[in-house]
Amino acid sequence: MNETLARAPQMPVWGSLAQSAAAPEPIQAPSATPSWRPSITIAPTRDQRRARPRLFYAIVAVSGVAAIFIAKLLLSVALSQGAYESSHAESELKHLQQNAQAVGEDLDRVKSPQYLAENAAALGMVTNAHPAYLRLSDGAVLGQPQAADSATGGAGNAVPNSLLTGVPLVTDPPPAAAEPAAKPAEKPATKTHKTTDAAATAGAAGTTEAATAAGAGVGPAGIPTPVTH
Amino acid sequence: MKFGRSSRRRSLFAMVALLALVSVFVVRLVDIQIVRADELNAASLAARSTTEDILGARGSIVDASGKVLAQSVMRYDVVISPKNAKPFEREVDGKDATVSVAQASAELGRALGMSGESVQAIIADSLKDDPDSDYAYVKKMVDLATWQAVDALDIQWVYGEGHPSRTYPDGAVAGNIVGFVGDDGEALAGEEAAADKCLVGKDGSTSYQTGVDGVEIPGSTTDSVAAKNGGTLKLTIDSDLQWNVQQALAQQAQAVGAAWGTAVVQEVKTGKLVAVADYPSVDPNNIDATDAEDRGSRAFTASYEPGSTFKALTAASAIDAGVADPLTQVVAPYRINFPNGADINDSEYHGDENLTLTGVLIESSNTGMSQIGEKLTDQQRYDYYKKFGLGTETEADFPAQDPGNLNGTPDSWDPQTKYATMFGQGLTTTAVQIASVYQTIANGGVRLPVQLVEGCTQEDGTVTDVPSTKGEQVVSATAAKQTSDILEMVYQQGWLANVWNIPGYRVASKTGTAQMPDGNGGYSHGYLVSVSGFAPADDPQYVVSVSLADPVNMNTSGAAAPIFKQVMSQVLKKYRVVPTDTAATQLPANW
Repeated sequence: MNETLARAPQMPVWGSLAQSAAAPEPIQAPSATPSWRPSITIAPTRDQRRARPRLFYAIVAVSGVAAIFIAKLLLSVALSQGAYESSHAESELKHLQQNAQAVGEDLDRVKSPQYLAENAAALGMVTNAHPAYLRLSDGAVLGQPQAADSATGGAGNAVPNSLLTGVPLVTDPPPAAAEPAAKPAEKPATKTHKTTDAAATAGAAGTTEAATAAGAGVGPAGIPTPVTH
Repeated sequence: MKFGRSSRRRSLFAMVALLALVSVFVVRLVDIQIVRADELNAASLAARSTTEDILGARGSIVDASGKVLAQSVMRYDVVISPKNAKPFEREVDGKDATVSVAQASAELGRALGMSGESVQAIIADSLKDDPDSDYAYVKKMVDLATWQAVDALDIQWVYGEGHPSRTYPDGAVAGNIVGFVGDDGEALAGEEAAADKCLVGKDGSTSYQTGVDGVEIPGSTTDSVAAKNGGTLKLTIDSDLQWNVQQALAQQAQAVGAAWGTAVVQEVKTGKLVAVADYPSVDPNNIDATDAEDRGSRAFTASYEPGSTFKALTAASAIDAGVADPLTQVVAPYRINFPNGADINDSEYHGDENLTLTGVLIESSNTGMSQIGEKLTDQQRYDYYKKFGLGTETEADFPAQDPGNLNGTPDSWDPQTKYATMFGQGLTTTAVQIASVYQTIANGGVRLPVQLVEGCTQEDGTVTDVPSTKGEQVVSATAAKQTSDILEMVYQQGWLANVWNIPGYRVASKTGTAQMPDGNGGYSHGYLVSVSGFAPADDPQYVVSVSLADPVNMNTSGAAAPIFKQVMSQVLKKYRVVPTDTAATQLPANW
């Protein structure tokens, strides 16, 4: 202790420290000390100085905690935002799956043998009950080719399929084909006047535009009817 | 020290009271945290969470090429809440407008294809029954487009409920085989019922916590049971060929006024049924349009006396047993009275004919066949029947199959039956069994199990229900070949030679005209006419077997022959069977 006291005045920095910086040194001597000699403070040892709380660490710790809180908050916001997005995307997925199924059903229906056969018959095709083959390697005709007679297979489809009720054949006149396209247009029309007006305007503007608008209105519910010019 | 004693007593009392209080708390804590923990957790979770069912869809039924014959689809039941059916506000063009019940009903009715009045009647009726009625169906099972139209109306007291349903894109094509399900999804007929275990799905569920707006709270999925979709059942049927066969059968059956008919196409070298047609045939999309007895497949479920197509079996058996060959000679009179009392006659009067076995089949002589057949013992013939697969259900997995009736065992056959069974009377078989008999003869005497299903593929790729393909030698290859040669002579020289002729191909076939039972132990005036055969005879690929019951406008097998020809040529065309220019082995019919 004595040694410390004796050594203190020899420290070159202490005077300026007390006057200019006036840092709140906890062990600094009160200013009321007589001026005939410099105030004496206990100079901290190296260990003591090291043990002092440092502002830097405090700032790091506090800002770290704050950063964690903010990150957590942002993460939660992002997560719940994601939950809304995912919920929205899921309902859209469900909607699209429903539509895909409905369109797939339409496709399966028109792929049925009955529909193909009826269309083929409507186009004037008949089955030939006399198979014959042309061999490409030597041009030989295998079997006994005979012209198909219209007697077989011409009587129309005899295998029922209730799913095909009302589905037009390829040979049916276009107006019949345009009819299903017009039906879904009622759907938006009942909801808002705006759509009705738009449809009416389009109708007045010309049949082609009206047909296109109606065709677009079908949306994913059914196969859009192609507009032929 | 009286002070000390009293204070000690007080502190003791306080301690005891405290202890008691603490122990009450501890008991309560243990009760809540440990004893009833699960129950309370579940209750609290239930209050916060939503449970959603995940649909495990019923599997599809597809044909041999993978084309869908039956699949699950979602339909929608449109439901209203009658007690809430009141005028409501709806935003139209940016402004709120009041929509009356009548107007909403009219809009709803238009979307559903019914009148607004009938919608209002539904509301009124359910309110009459129960003034607090909150649930009434307006229309069940509407499709997606209709439901979307209803949904777009934005009527607050109308909502939709998903209703899993079944659709059959090909309608009546293979409807007899595919079968159908009821409104509640219960499998009722055909493969839908037979393969229900393969097709049925298992519903799953998931529960999660939701916020006020019903959106899932992230990471809150508490309990999730995955749904399992049903497997895909693949049939051996080819839908395009099936249509052709049904079409040919239906047109001819209508033309000749047949009560019903069947046509079966079987692949010779695999035993696969590629087409099984029935007339009339059910459209599974609309089963009410078909009479109840016509909704199945008679090819599997109705046995009948096959008649003369059966003579091929007796001939093959006799040749295999070594008691006859294609040139075995008999004298065939119009009528024979056998020593055991049996009285056998042919269908038309003729004088005594010197016929070979080949000639017996060409002329389809019952008296001739009886003389060949009696070279075998009854037991021998019965054993051949069993080996050909008669009297037992076929291997194909089909519900309510008719095993056929061999009239007991040879011991119980009466004298007439002993002979009648040689030419296909006095016993019954199904159409598929007869096709299988011809498959055996065409396949060098090896009978293959009848296949209708190729297998069931589960979602994870495992394939089950794969049928056996292990064949059984029923008659020797020589006997089968000689029988085939005889049948080729029948095709060339039989009385229908010009009707069933398919130029360029070698065909083996046989007609049958069987008397049909009248249901009282005797025979009616109706006939079951049939043609069975296979082609090409030099390398058999396909068996075609056609039967028509009671064709009132043409009471002979000539009624079935055009179907046989049309179906057989379609089969040969479809499977690219190339015509051959080899000639058939000529066998004499007479001696």
